[in-house]
Amino acid sequence: MVNIPESVLAEVFSENTLAWITEGLASGKMALFTETEDLVTYARRVVSLSRALPMRGVDLPEAVCLAAGARFGYTVLTENGGAAMAPSFIQELSGVRVMRAVDVLHALAQRGVISLREEIERYQAETGHRFAKRDLRRLGVE
Amino acid sequence: MEREFWLAFIEEAREIRRREANWGFINKLPPRLRHALVYYVETGDFRTAARLAGLGVEEFLEKAREAGIPLV
Repeated sequence: MVNIPESVLAEVFSENTLAWITEGLASGKMALFTETEDLVTYARRVVSLSRALPMRGVDLPEAVCLAAGARFGYTVLTENGGAAMAPSFIQELSGVRVMRAVDVLHALAQRGVISLREEIERYQAETGHRFAKRDLRRLGVE
Repeated sequence: MEREFWLAFIEEAREIRRREANWGFINKLPPRLRHALVYYVETGDFRTAARLAGLGVEEFLEKAREAGIPLV
C-alpha cells in the first residue's frame, strides 16, 4: 500500500500522473494520507532542523512523509534529495527508511524482477532524470 | 548512508545540473523563470524554485526539463 499525503497530491496536475494515482486509489493499491495537526507540527520541526544542518533542506510535504515514516514505520518514497539524506543528518529520523527511484530499481533487480543496468538507462531516458555516478558506483552499476 | 556520501552527492548533482543545462535557452527566458532555474541548478531545491518562478512544482519541473536541467 502506498500512502499519498494530501499535500503531495495537491501538487499533481499532469494528466498521466493523475490517471496513475486515480487508478491506484481505485484499485486499493494507494490510499490518501490525511495529515494530522500533530504530524504537521512534527514535520515543521523536521523542516527547521534540516535548515540548520549542512544538508539539502527538507520542505513541508517531504517532512510530513518523514514524520509519518518515523511515527508509523512507513518507508518514504521520494526523489527529493533533502528528504533522502535527512536520516543521515537528523538523529530522530535515523531509523526512517527512504527510497529514491534508484533504490527501488535496485530492490527490484535484487529480487530478479528487472535488469538493473537496462532499467536505469530506460528510466533516465524516459524521465530526464540523472542518477549520480556515486549512486551507480554504490550499486555496482559503474 | 554516511553524511560524507551525501555532501559529495550534493556537489556532484550540482555539477550535473550545471553541465546539462541549456544556458542559451535559459538566458533568453523572462527574469522570474530564469532566476528560478538558476537557483534550481545551484541548489536542487525545486519547491523553492517553483515558488520563485510563480509556478506549481510539476509545471516548474517541466520547464526545467525543457531547459535541459535534469532531476538528480
